[in-house]
This record gives sequence, C-alpha cells and structure tokens, in this order.
Amino acid sequence: MAHFDTEYQRLEASYSDSPPGEANLLMHVPEGAKSQWHHIENLDLFFQRVYNLHQKNGFTCMLLGEFFELVQLLFVVGFTVFLANCVDYDILFANKFVNHTDSSKVTLPDAFLPVNVCSARIQDNNAFVIFVLIISGVFWLHRLVKFIYNVCCYWEIRSFYINALKMNMSELPYATWQEVQARIVEIQKEHQICIHKKELTELDIYHRILRFKNYMVAMVNKSLLPVRFRLPVFGDCVFYTRGLKYNFELIFFWGPGSLFENEWSLKPEYKRGGNRLELADRLASRILWIGIANLLLCPVILVWQILYAFFSYTEVIKREPGSLGARCWSLYGRCYLRHFNELDHELMSRLSKGYKAASKYMNCFLSPLLTVVAKNVAFFAGSLLAVLIALTIYDEDVLAVEHVLSSVTLLGVCITVCRSFIPDKHMVFCPEQLLRVILAHIHYMPDHWQGNAHRYETRDQFSQLFQYKAVFILEELLSPVVTPIILIFCLRRKSLEIIDFFRNFTVEVIGVGDTCSFAQMDIRQHGHPAWMSEGKTEASIYQQAEDGKTELSLMHFAITNPQWQPPQETTHFISQLKERVHREATGFPADAHQLSLSESEPRSLVANLLTGPSALASVHFGRDSYLANHAAAGVSDGASALRSLSPISSSLHLRGSLSVAHNKTSTMSKAMAGSGTDARTVSSGSSAWEGQLTSLILSEYASTEMSIHALYMHELHKQQSRGELSRHTWHRQESDESSDSLPEEVRSQPNPHSRNFPRSHTFPTTVASPSAIPTSASASRSKTIGQEGGSSHQRYSGPTTDSFGAGGKVVRSARVPMGGWAEDGQAASRHHDPVPEESSEDEMPPQIQKVT
Amino acid sequence: MNCRSEVLEVTVESRQVEEAMLALLHTILLHRSTGKFHYKKEGTYSIGTVGTLDFDCDYIDFTFARVSSEELDRVIRKAVSEFKDALSNSGSDGMGQISLEFYQKKKSRWPFSDECIPWEVWSIKVNVVNLANEQERQICREKVGEKLGEKVINVVEVINRHEYLPKMPTQSEVDNVFDTSLKDVQPYLYKITYQITDSLGTSVSTTMRRLIKDTLAL
Repeated sequence: MAHFDTEYQRLEASYSDSPPGEANLLMHVPEGAKSQWHHIENLDLFFQRVYNLHQKNGFTCMLLGEFFELVQLLFVVGFTVFLANCVDYDILFANKFVNHTDSSKVTLPDAFLPVNVCSARIQDNNAFVIFVLIISGVFWLHRLVKFIYNVCCYWEIRSFYINALKMNMSELPYATWQEVQARIVEIQKEHQICIHKKELTELDIYHRILRFKNYMVAMVNKSLLPVRFRLPVFGDCVFYTRGLKYNFELIFFWGPGSLFENEWSLKPEYKRGGNRLELADRLASRILWIGIANLLLCPVILVWQILYAFFSYTEVIKREPGSLGARCWSLYGRCYLRHFNELDHELMSRLSKGYKAASKYMNCFLSPLLTVVAKNVAFFAGSLLAVLIALTIYDEDVLAVEHVLSSVTLLGVCITVCRSFIPDKHMVFCPEQLLRVILAHIHYMPDHWQGNAHRYETRDQFSQLFQYKAVFILEELLSPVVTPIILIFCLRRKSLEIIDFFRNFTVEVIGVGDTCSFAQMDIRQHGHPAWMSEGKTEASIYQQAEDGKTELSLMHFAITNPQWQPPQETTHFISQLKERVHREATGFPADAHQLSLSESEPRSLVANLLTGPSALASVHFGRDSYLANHAAAGVSDGASALRSLSPISSSLHLRGSLSVAHNKTSTMSKAMAGSGTDARTVSSGSSAWEGQLTSLILSEYASTEMSIHALYMHELHKQQSRGELSRHTWHRQESDESSDSLPEEVRSQPNPHSRNFPRSHTFPTTVASPSAIPTSASASRSKTIGQEGGSSHQRYSGPTTDSFGAGGKVVRSARVPMGGWAEDGQAASRHHDPVPEESSEDEMPPQIQKVT
Repeated sequence: MNCRSEVLEVTVESRQVEEAMLALLHTILLHRSTGKFHYKKEGTYSIGTVGTLDFDCDYIDFTFARVSSEELDRVIRKAVSEFKDALSNSGSDGMGQISLEFYQKKKSRWPFSDECIPWEVWSIKVNVVNLANEQERQICREKVGEKLGEKVINVVEVINRHEYLPKMPTQSEVDNVFDTSLKDVQPYLYKITYQITDSLGTSVSTTMRRLIKDTLAL
C-alpha cells in the first residue's frame, strides 16, 4: 500500500493499532446518586416540612402527638354518644329504684343500659345524632388519612435530617431553626437542592416557607382584605377567623381556579395588565360561587366547628377554667403584627413575650361601675358561702341537704368571676408605659395610640389585636354563618383591587418563583418616607407599606439572620440605622440593656423612666414647666435627677443575672463602634461569637436588639411625622386665617385653655370632649394636623422656645430608650437627612407641645 | 418549580411549522444526548459516540445538525406532526406551544408512583402567519432561516452555561436519568408535550390532585 517515496514515514513506536473498544477507551466513574437530596421537586413543600418537623420536635414527637390526637377524638365522640344514649339517668339521680337483692347500694354499671337498648336508642334518636356521628366520622377519617400521608412524607424529611443535615432526631428539639437553616444553606453547595443557584440564602428559604403568608400580611397591611367592619351597634370591629382565612387562601392561592398556578407561580394572565377587568369579573364570580358553597355547606361546617371547638377546648376548660377569660392574640392581630418573612415561632415568641404586659394593660381598664357591682355581689356571695362552709365544718351532714353542695360550688364560681372584675389594690395605672413595653415586643402599633394609651378607644382597638379567648371561640363558631356574607358582599367588591394587587406586587425571583414584592423588603420600592427611608424610597403611596412594615421587617430579618447578605442599598440602610441607634446608646451604655431587663413588665420605676415612656416623662416635665410657668430650671433639675439615676440602675443591672446578655450587648456596641459604618462587619463580628456562644443566646439577644430598634424607629417616626405635619400646617395656616384662632389662643394663655388641645388628655384630670377622641387613623390624623397647627406656632414663637431648650434634651433622654440624647448633645443626636430645613427647630422637643 | 425554563418564540408560515419545530427540538436534543454507556465491572463506564447528520430544510433556508439516530428522529417527527395537525385543526389564531421537558425519575416507596421531576423545560411558542403572495413567502423563507439560526445559537449558549445537570448515574440508576430505549444514542429522559393556544392552564386532574394534597396538608 505505501509505495510512495516521501519523507513521511510512520513513527512505529508511538502508534499501535489496537482493536477498538477495549483497553484504551476513556473510562468514566459515575458519581451516582450519593444522595437522593439533589434537585427536589417541590422545594416549597419540602422546606415547609423541614420547618414543621423542627417545630414539632422531631419525628417521634410528631407521630405520637398526632396519633394521640386521633385516639382522643375517637374517645370524645364515643364517650359523648355513650353519655347521651346509654346511661339511665333516672337511676343515677335516684329517681328510680334498682331492685337489688343483696345490697341497697347503686353501682355504676346499674346505670348503664344494655347494648341492644342502647343501639336501638341511637337509631331511634333523631336524625341530628346520626348527622353529627357521620360528620365526626368523616372528620376522623380525614384525620386518619392525613396522619398516614404525613407519616410517609415526614419519614422522608426525617431521613433528610439524619443523612443530609447530619442531625439526630433526639437533638432536634435543642437546635434552633437558625442552626438547621445554616446547615441547609451549607448542603446546598454539595447537593444542589435548588438547581437555579449555586447557593441558597436565608431569604430564599424564608420566602419559600412563607410565600403565601407574606401575601396575606401584605394584604392586611394594605387593608385589602375585608376584615374590618363598621357595625351599627358594635362600632368598629374586626372579624377574621380561621374559616375566613381558609376561604381567602382557597380563593387566592390553591383552590380550583385560584390565582396561583401552583405553589410557586402566579398564572401568567394575572401578571399582565391587559385584561384586568375581565379577570376581576372572573374572580368576582368565583368568590360568589365559593360564597354560595359556603352558605350551602353552612350546617355541616357549623357542626364541624362546634365539634372542633368542643374537642379542642373542653380539655383546656376542664384543666383551667380561668383560661376562657384569659386573652389571646387574635388572628387579625397575628396578621397585623407579623413582619414580612417572619416564621411562626419567631412571631409566637415575640407575642408571648408581650403577653404579660398586654394583659396587664387590658386589665387597667376595668369599668369602675362593674367594679362596684362586682365588689358588692362578691360580698353577699362571700358571706353566704362563708356561712355554708362554717356550717359544713361544724357538721358535715349539711352537705347531704339537697343543693347545698351545688350552691357552694356556684357561689365559689360567682366569687371567682366577681374577683376578676375587681382590680388589684396595688396596681398602678400606667398605660403609657405598658403600651411602650408592649410595643417593644409587638413592634407595630398605629400612630395615634401613643399618647392616647389611657383612652378607652385605644384599649378597644388594642382588644381587636388581643381578644378574650371566649370571644375568639365565639367568633369561630359564628364564622360559618358570617363567612359567606363577607365573601359575597365584601370581598367580591374588592376583586379588581385584588387583581391589581397581585399584578403589582408580585415579583419573580430566580430560584424562588413568584413572591410578594413586599417580602423582598426593598426600601427603595416599598419604603415609607415617614419611617426613616425618606430619600431612599421611590415608592408611590400605593406602593408604600403601612406602619413602617418594610423597614421594621428588614431590621427584624437582618437581626435574626446575621449571616444574610442583603443587597447594597439595604446594607446601607441597616448599617445607618444601627449606627444611629448605637450612637445614642453610647451615652448611657447601661440604658441600652434596660430593655432586656425590664421588658416583661415595668418592674422598677427608674427603669421605666429610662426606658422612656415618653408620655410619663413629658407629663412630668411638662406639668412642671407649665405650672412653674416655663421654669426651665426645674426641668433641668429633673434632667440631672434622671442622669444621676441612670448609673444606679446600670449598676443594678450589672448585679443582675443577665450579665451574659449584658456582656454581649456591650461587645456588640464595641463592634459597632469599631466598624462604625458597615453593618456587615458588625454581623461578621456576631458570627465570630457564634463559636463561643450558643446560637440560642444569640437569638435571645437578637430579640432584645430588635426591641430596641423597633422602639427607636417608632420614636423617630413620631418625631418625623410630627415635623412633617407641622410643616404642612404651617404652610396651610398662612393661607387660611380661620385656623389662626386656636394657636392664638394657645399662645396667649396656654394653661387655662389647654383643654382645647385635643391632646390635652395627657393630663388625666382634663377630659377632652368626645369629638376629640380619635376613632380611626384618618380622624386622628386630621386632628393632629389641627393640633400641630397650634404647636408649630408655639414652636416658632421666640421666647417660649428658649425656655424649653434645656427641657427638650431632657425629655428626649427620657424618651429614647437608650437615653443617649442628653449626653451626646446636639451634634450627634440629630436625625440628619430627612427634614434638613427643620433641623434647627427639631432640637426643640416636639413632646412639649403634646403636653400642653 | 425546581427546574429551569427557557422560552423560544418563532413566527412561521404554516408549512414551515414542522421543519422549524424539528430544527429546534433536534438542536436541543443533540446537546442533551450522549453516546450509549457501557458499564464495566468496577463501576466505571465508557461512552459511545454520537453521530451527527446535517439536515436541509425544504421550506426554510436553513440546515441544522441532528443526531443521526433514526429512532430518535421518528419519535420527534411523530410528536411534531401531531402538533402540526392539532395546530391546523384548531382553526384558531394559530398560536401553539410545544415543550420539551427533561426530567429525572425518582423511585418512591410503595404507596406512591415514581415521581418524574423535571429539571429543564424548553417551551417553543409558535405563531403561524398567513402570507399573501409568493414574494412574501420568499422573504419569509430567508427570514425564518435567519431567526432559527439565532435560536440555535441561543440554545447552545444556554446549554453551555454551567448549570445543574443530573449527576452521571451508576448502572442500576441509569434508567432514572437517561432514556436507554434507543440503541444508538442516549438522550436525557425527555417528554414532548404540546398545547394549542393558551387554554385554561392546569387541567382538572392536576387541580384535583392539588386539592386533595392540600386538604391533607392542612
């Protein structure tokens, strides 16, 4: 073959023509499925289950708990039926004699009817019993199927915990969610659970777990859901039950024909604005159908609810009868108070911390009339009871007299009830402080509550968030009837708004899917200028989250998840805020920890003064200054008194048992001082501690830090909105002389006419006219404008301002939780950017006006 | 959800539908196929070769490369012609969507059937236009050719990214990742579905399944 005479020759050595396929083929080693955890289909559900399993303390606990629930249910139904049909009560009540031969004693088995009689009675009985039995049977079967399904699903999650996360079920109850989450983030790098990104962030996980909850929180925040009603007799009220919530979720998120295609994506047609009217029509008709279905199923649901309430609460009532009178955070409250991206356990711990203060606050408002009545009823009932008991002690045969035992019991109950209406003799009425402590935990409250804490209206509104448990159960029972009405008449009208809401506030995030854009916590898109994000936000009024939700949620998330890397601007916002808080904390470092100590309830007066119940402090100083007619000296006396108190309190704290938290806080402060500008360095500092300190302490500390931030932000918001309003009214007044009358009057004789100020009620003695009572946010706002008209005038009038100069700082020092104002003086303590032209006036304490 | 989705949109004349679809589907599958795996005893394997073939379109000025596997071609042609028929029979405005979904199987225990978890979905949206005269058809022929060329480059770019792919399986699991039914080539498990116009999203069965699942999850 090769007969050419060329230079080209084959290199014999390097080339050997072996048969193909065998030795020289490139061999690969399969990676195989080292784990089955790569690429999970439904991450939403997966993370939810991971979270649930963690919250339920592991597989065995969950399994046992659910199993016993099933058994309990069966027992309760069976027992109820048995009691109703198989017991001969005549024998029990001794109305009928049993013809026993051997003894006259009646035994329990005597009272039982024979089985055949019993079943005959059940069959003969009215259809209602059969109906209830069938429904509870269905209920039980549903629970059973769910139980089996759950066991299968959670078995997988269990092996995920053990094999992938390397956590035993036994250590799960003692691991925080943050730890679990950190491990999930870690294994993403290895297993790629989510295929879109190389790394998961904490926010991704939160988004997936809380996707729909974030939507609900946002809708409540933007008052889109019809849960507030104005009824003729009851006035303003909130109706939001589990049934209603279930229906909302059914309509929006997962029911047939809902807005969502699946767990993670909104249907594409809802993302386009083109046919919004048509979509709104479709939604409205769906709501109508669901409403009608609710109406038709009403009896079934009612029975179901009653059974449910019965099963869930009888046991509780038996155990502690007082619990019905006790309060709980209402469903609406939970929605209103929830941050974006806040998991259940975080919310619950926050609310539980506020529980004591909240119930104390509510107890401040016992009606004096009721108290008088209760006292007297208790007196008479008590004397009867005392006599009966005394007689019984003398001779216990008294008990055998008919109805003596029952009347003793009844009287006892009566006294217990009455006693709950009689306030504690040693209780001090200090609602403003309590409200402040509450605010430190619940983080949200309407603007007009502050300074109005003692009013009945504020209390009523607060009770919408914090209702009686009995009311809660009653609402639940009413819900099957009310829900269809709300759906058909209220929600249907809002269908267009709802469509717009979902279109405008849904963003598609890579690796997460469609989420509520509020949950991104982007200050620029959803910040509210009155909540420190002025200048940073580009949101229109429609886009702004109310009540500073975006800002507070952001802070909350950043504090609970220090590892989280927020986007650039957000980092800036966080670091700025932290720096500000810190700067004010450096004045009295001790005060910063005040909160952690006095958080559950205002224990010591000193602590309270310093934690800054503004109203209290300002009332004191305000009164002083007014009574002494601008006696600035007196005020500064007060200031020095306060200042001298603070070291004492700090030393108290040092002696306190919370030294760990204290050390940590100061470390934090140092870290902040060191880094100053960058929040990332702060959090890296905090992550560095993690080695030494358990994350549980860290999370405890985090809640304190969040409390401080929440209080601070509310405070700043108050000042800012006041400045804002006064500026507006200032302009308005120039054009409108009719409003001049009020400020004029005030300026000339502030004291006698202080009654005319709507806020004059900070004096408990002068009760403002009913018209001045703010019943809704809008009303109070308009009122504040009027009143601020007065205050701004006063503020701008020369001599008065001077006399208040000293007092101003003092009031601030008392008001701001960390009390740094007085030390820092003017240079450090100003809030810089938002209202530059007013900054000089802002040195003036706005509180002074409120006092007048 | 946990899957990438890519959308391609083309506007073609009715007689070009088949070829355009073939071009895109074949291009994607070419890059998502490997040679047959030959497993050895020690748990290693060698990979066979993938032959390619140029295919000239009749109605479009376009030539694309496809895997030279008649079996694969037959499967795809069948799906595409079904789609084409459905599209022409629908009589509506000539909008349709064909999607190529790559998935993995996950074995589950007894009560549940095997799960098919998609990891990449290519949706090709087709818009059919009617042309008036021969001259426009000529222009369209060239235009569509250019457009398809762009799409192919687009596809290659996407595939070139370092993104999630199922890990190479061991012999026992090869059926969970690859379609091993063909004798000369081994594409990732895929599924071709089509949809004429955007009908009402999810079907009744999926809704029912979700409803049941959700009630259970309550």
